[in-house]
Amino acid sequence: MSAASQQRTPRSTLPNRIVGGFFILLAYLLITIIFLTPLLWMIGSSLRPSPEVFQYIFPLSWRTFVPLQFTLQNFADIFGISEQGRALGFQFGRALLNTAFVSTAVVGSSLVFNTLAAYFFARLEFPYKNLLLVFVLGTFFVPQEATIVPLYIVVRQLGFADTYWALILPWYASPFVIFVLSQFFQEIPKELDEAAIIDGASLLGVLRHVIVPNARVGLLTVSLLEFQFIWNLFFWPLIATGRQELQVIQVAVATQISQREIAWGRIFAGGVVASLPVIILFLALQKYFVEGVALSGLKG
Amino acid sequence: MMAATVPTRTNSPSWWTYIQRRKTRNTIFAAFFVLPAVINFLIFRYIPIVWAARASTWQYSLLGGYRDWIGADHYLRALEDPILLKSLQVTFAYVIVKLPLEVALALALAIFTNRAIRGMGTIRTIIFTPVVMSMVVVSVVWALILNADSGLLNALLKTFGLPKQVFLSNPNLSLPSVITATIWKDVGFSTILIVAGLKGIPGIFYEAAVIDGATRWQLFRHVTLPLLRRTLLFVIVTQTIFSFQVFIPVYSMTQGGPLDSTKVIVYYIYQLGFRFQDMGYAAAVSMILLVILLLISVTQMRFLRSDVEY
Repeated sequence: MSAASQQRTPRSTLPNRIVGGFFILLAYLLITIIFLTPLLWMIGSSLRPSPEVFQYIFPLSWRTFVPLQFTLQNFADIFGISEQGRALGFQFGRALLNTAFVSTAVVGSSLVFNTLAAYFFARLEFPYKNLLLVFVLGTFFVPQEATIVPLYIVVRQLGFADTYWALILPWYASPFVIFVLSQFFQEIPKELDEAAIIDGASLLGVLRHVIVPNARVGLLTVSLLEFQFIWNLFFWPLIATGRQELQVIQVAVATQISQREIAWGRIFAGGVVASLPVIILFLALQKYFVEGVALSGLKG
Repeated sequence: MMAATVPTRTNSPSWWTYIQRRKTRNTIFAAFFVLPAVINFLIFRYIPIVWAARASTWQYSLLGGYRDWIGADHYLRALEDPILLKSLQVTFAYVIVKLPLEVALALALAIFTNRAIRGMGTIRTIIFTPVVMSMVVVSVVWALILNADSGLLNALLKTFGLPKQVFLSNPNLSLPSVITATIWKDVGFSTILIVAGLKGIPGIFYEAAVIDGATRWQLFRHVTLPLLRRTLLFVIVTQTIFSFQVFIPVYSMTQGGPLDSTKVIVYYIYQLGFRFQDMGYAAAVSMILLVILLLISVTQMRFLRSDVEY
């Protein structure tokens, strides 16, 4: 972040600066409250008995957010550890495992196949390559939610509806990831490739020893985006799977509310469990992610 | 054999054959790099469209399978379907209200957080957190925030002595409620893109304008906005396509109600196919949505392309 790229204030006399500083502080607080309150309310309420959520909602005070009677009961319920949770058939543990498995499988396979394809478009020679690129990027304009019902019909005909394959196979390649990765690859100087080829490297060797090591930030960024995309998928898993053993975490959370669940504590606990893994992942890798987005030309 | 294929700097036929052979080999080899992706897109992105086109001309349901071929009947029915018309209206209203609000907010947030003041990185993280949360969790939490009896927002209204609102059961408030929740979730993504765009503007432009005595508004109007054009267009194009396909908040906050006031088109497709067992008609409506979205993105791409580099 260079100082030159910052916004400049034309006239900064002392009184102006004090007034300006006050407004900045005010805006800062307002933004924090708007974006953080729903999160804090969700986390706080997940750690208290449901009646307590209703009891302290009004008047608004710190009691609205901070559990007075701290309990992990809601989590025990949704994981089906407690008597009540078992009776209600909650299996959030299973759903979490399913989601983690599917997300990891998609990110892994997508890393392989999208990297290969991005390398193809960034570097290799091929007849009618531009036509192929149109074919790939054209899928970008196929609206996902609009074609999910037809996609289900296809997957059903292929015979793997209601299996893990249905959750993984359609996503192992992504036009978006191919596009972003090939942009990263194009930034790498071609001389590096040529040097490696003179040293006797094959096409695959160039990819492994030149391209991949030089595009780590890009690979990490798209993996992170892909992971949260798959982790947060809802419409497709809802349609593609029906058995509870295959239920993913988002469907588990949504099913809870469509049952008109009145135990808010459990709903909030479900929300926490479904969000926290991805939030933590992003916070941990934030530095690389922000760098990646800035480099990727995502900004247009 | 070996000697014949050693490359030499002459135009001898053997050198030429070598190059040709190597090229052919590399071409075949190269095909394998792109093949998996091509197969994926063919099966999972293009064939569904063909399938939908086909299913839309049949009486077809998941339980009953294909029954009669009915040609264009589904499309004729769509022309006279008042619920489809309503859902198109709702979808357009959603996009037309949400998009400008979100972009304006994102622009304001990006400019605000782009100051060199300590704590701005933290606030960007806070704004970005809802983006990595799922739409499902955001909708569920907002449904409870907007709950008529024990929601957080009604508690806030009550604190200021304002009357209680039944946000999700009032046809006039249901769509604005859904829009609020989705802007809260999506605005961080647009913000981070615009911040990246802002950082790409060379500081010298601002310095020059300040020397010329530009006010803060003039800086924004004549330096920031024009130089952000590409970024803003990119944000608008992608957000338009996403917004047209809104489904989850409607599914988990309002189920399309009350009085169809939030029945967006994807929710209607879902209802047709899976609730009413009318997959053929659902496919026809999907095709209609597909055409609408293609028209919109092609128009928007025209705008994107007619742009100047800086």
